[in-house]
Amino acid sequence: MFTRLLQQSFRRDWRRKLLAIFTIVLATTLMTALASLSIDVGDKMAREMKAYGSNIKVVPKSDSIPLTIGGVNYNPLSGRDYLNEADLPKIKDIFWRNNITGLTPFLTLPVTLGSAEDDHVPLIGTYFHKLMPVEGFDNFFTGVTVTHPFWQVTGTWPEEDSLDQVLVGETLADRRGLKPGATLTLTAAEGKSRNVTVSGIVAASEEEAGGIVAPLALAQDLAGLSGKVGSVSVSALTIPENSLSRKARSDPSSLDAQQYDTWYCSAYVSAIVHQIEEALPNASARPIWQVADSEGVVIGKIQLLMAVVALAAFASSAMAISSLLNTSVMERSREIGLMKALGASQAAILSLFLGEAVVIGIIGGLIGAALGAGLSQIIGLTVFGATITFPGVVVLVVVIASILIALAGSVLPSRTIAALAPVETLYGRR
Amino acid sequence: MAAADRPKTSARRGGMGARLLWRALLVRRSRVLAAVTAIAVGAAVIAALASLYFDISAKMSRELRAYGANFIVAPDTAEGDKTFSEATYRKLIAELPADRLVGASPFLYGVARVGEREAVIAGLDFAGAQKISPYWQVEGNWIGVDFDERRCMLGERLAASLGLHPGDTIEISNDDGSFKTELTVRGIVETGEAEDDQILVNRSLAQKLLGMPNVINLAMLSIQAEGEEADRLARTIEADFPGLDIRPIRQVSQSDGELLDKIKVLMAFVAGIILVITAVCVNSTLTAMIVERRREIGLQKALGADDSAIMRQFLIETVTLSLIGVAAGLVIGFGLAQLLGQAVFSTAISFRAIVVPATLAISLVAALAAAIVPIRRAIRIVPAQVLKGE
Repeated sequence: MFTRLLQQSFRRDWRRKLLAIFTIVLATTLMTALASLSIDVGDKMAREMKAYGSNIKVVPKSDSIPLTIGGVNYNPLSGRDYLNEADLPKIKDIFWRNNITGLTPFLTLPVTLGSAEDDHVPLIGTYFHKLMPVEGFDNFFTGVTVTHPFWQVTGTWPEEDSLDQVLVGETLADRRGLKPGATLTLTAAEGKSRNVTVSGIVAASEEEAGGIVAPLALAQDLAGLSGKVGSVSVSALTIPENSLSRKARSDPSSLDAQQYDTWYCSAYVSAIVHQIEEALPNASARPIWQVADSEGVVIGKIQLLMAVVALAAFASSAMAISSLLNTSVMERSREIGLMKALGASQAAILSLFLGEAVVIGIIGGLIGAALGAGLSQIIGLTVFGATITFPGVVVLVVVIASILIALAGSVLPSRTIAALAPVETLYGRR
Repeated sequence: MAAADRPKTSARRGGMGARLLWRALLVRRSRVLAAVTAIAVGAAVIAALASLYFDISAKMSRELRAYGANFIVAPDTAEGDKTFSEATYRKLIAELPADRLVGASPFLYGVARVGEREAVIAGLDFAGAQKISPYWQVEGNWIGVDFDERRCMLGERLAASLGLHPGDTIEISNDDGSFKTELTVRGIVETGEAEDDQILVNRSLAQKLLGMPNVINLAMLSIQAEGEEADRLARTIEADFPGLDIRPIRQVSQSDGELLDKIKVLMAFVAGIILVITAVCVNSTLTAMIVERRREIGLQKALGADDSAIMRQFLIETVTLSLIGVAAGLVIGFGLAQLLGQAVFSTAISFRAIVVPATLAISLVAALAAAIVPIRRAIRIVPAQVLKGE
């Protein structure tokens, strides 16, 4: 009897049901798209944030404190420690290897340009876009174009590993009137010198502005340090720091085994730093807090913004659906009165409306979830150029939510009406 | 709702129309309330989102200042000077638009002796430095005031190699030992960059120790401006200070610009989707309401009303309800925008006039579209059919 009533109700009154389903589809599309976006927006934004440059710096473990002013280290070269270039691929072999997007070595030494004897400028040797052989990663290209995407070159980048091409920082180029194509003689402190061509002018950070950027091989050659690097900048995808990772940083021994495992297996910047130090025993790795800390702050804001907007949209669509169903139930007061007059119990009437709401909620929720999933992919591809990871639980939540909303919108008013005397409703006083 | 006066004019149509409208609103009070609510909720969401969207750039731009200084001021390298006067710096700060300046600090660098070894000493304004580098990880405390010449902050690596902790004392002197002073370590700073190897002291103390009164090497500024805008601002200031070189710090200013564009596009999408779907929701709710009134239309036709009169009456009714709904929605929506703004950015969202006509237009279009189609269909039918309830 109940199913027949339900079927009849949908068959005879399909227009109204269709409108209800349509509205629920719209609202659930919105909810699904926004929910999956706000869940994934953090990861997507973290990738965008890589524009700010690397977030971890690896330097040799050493007791000597560099006397660096304006990018030039005034300590004598002798007695300094270095990292081995051959060890670099080990960084790409840690537990979170897939989160390491790039690693760029640097070797800085003071050089003089041509005749000006006392005019020391920093010469910074590095990789630009170099294929690094790493096990399990076939074409892992790394260098400043990956880790420092904000570098801009007027002219051309030098050939990787060349010994006669360099970039000149913008302020140095201004001061000396250097243009791409100019030639220079670089002389290192130990007297070794090379003639080089300026392939381009580089706009980067303060340190490079007054200096020269060269292929790592050239810097190693001038410094007489073959196979050595001074520091490594690492770009890693991380999750924002929280109380657990702060605890791990300040006092690793205070964690119990389970906390330690959780921390070690989460992509906190502190955990990745720890794993790099495990891979390179003679190195000390540190987060660059300007990038690491700010990233967490900004991503937190964006996530909060999305969540709040999603919540507001959710509430408003819930209200819209409720009021729609409310109206349509009100309009059916004659029908309810007739059912009562024919001897239907309160429970039977309620269960009919309940059944209708559940059917409408499930159909609308499923279609909406599918459309919403599609919509979130479209947004993901347009804004971030990547698909959004779609959590299946969203579908479940959305369908349940739409059923609940449908129930709230139809069962409450039908109770009010069912409580009335049939004669009133049939006579049209309501 | 203002009471509509019963006009005593002989213009029957106007009087009749007003009376019909008034009765329609009064008799079907619960339905009218439902319709107004639907429109108000829709309008509130549209208004709130529009307000938020127009303000997102300014708000996010401030949040991005978490990345610290985005401008550097240095002496013009062509002159070969390594320093410039502090008075010039103060003048420059005074010229900047105060509402966009988040913080600024001068810096003076040199080498100081700590016992047997040498270390880089940096003189700065601590209050300003805290504003331009909110990301410094400090163990112990920041030095809160400028002019404090008794305390210092130490870079984390330097502190570790000297075995010092917050609260310890440290003696620093200049190269020839002619200036000595004892300082309390107020805090240990970790940044991952050059500061980790430095002694951070007040600018005035560094000037005394290095024998360089009233000059600084450079200044770092944190200003709300990204990308192209930052470049323009730098050029504008530079024109007034010929001896100085003012540059946006590319790493920050360019990335800020790119990120902000992404956020704007994302918000535009989200706001657009919510806008469209809310409008359609309002539309379908009203459609449902009007479909239910077919009997009424049939009755009016049976009583001899012509089609255009019915149409006009329904349209006026819809517009009246929409206006009431939108007015309520704008107020609620602006309040909602404030809530969102407080929740996310902890500041108020500024009111923009454009939101009012935009919300009104979208809501009216949604409501009228909902009214016109079903009414036209209803008008075409034979009264007897609807009245009988087919």
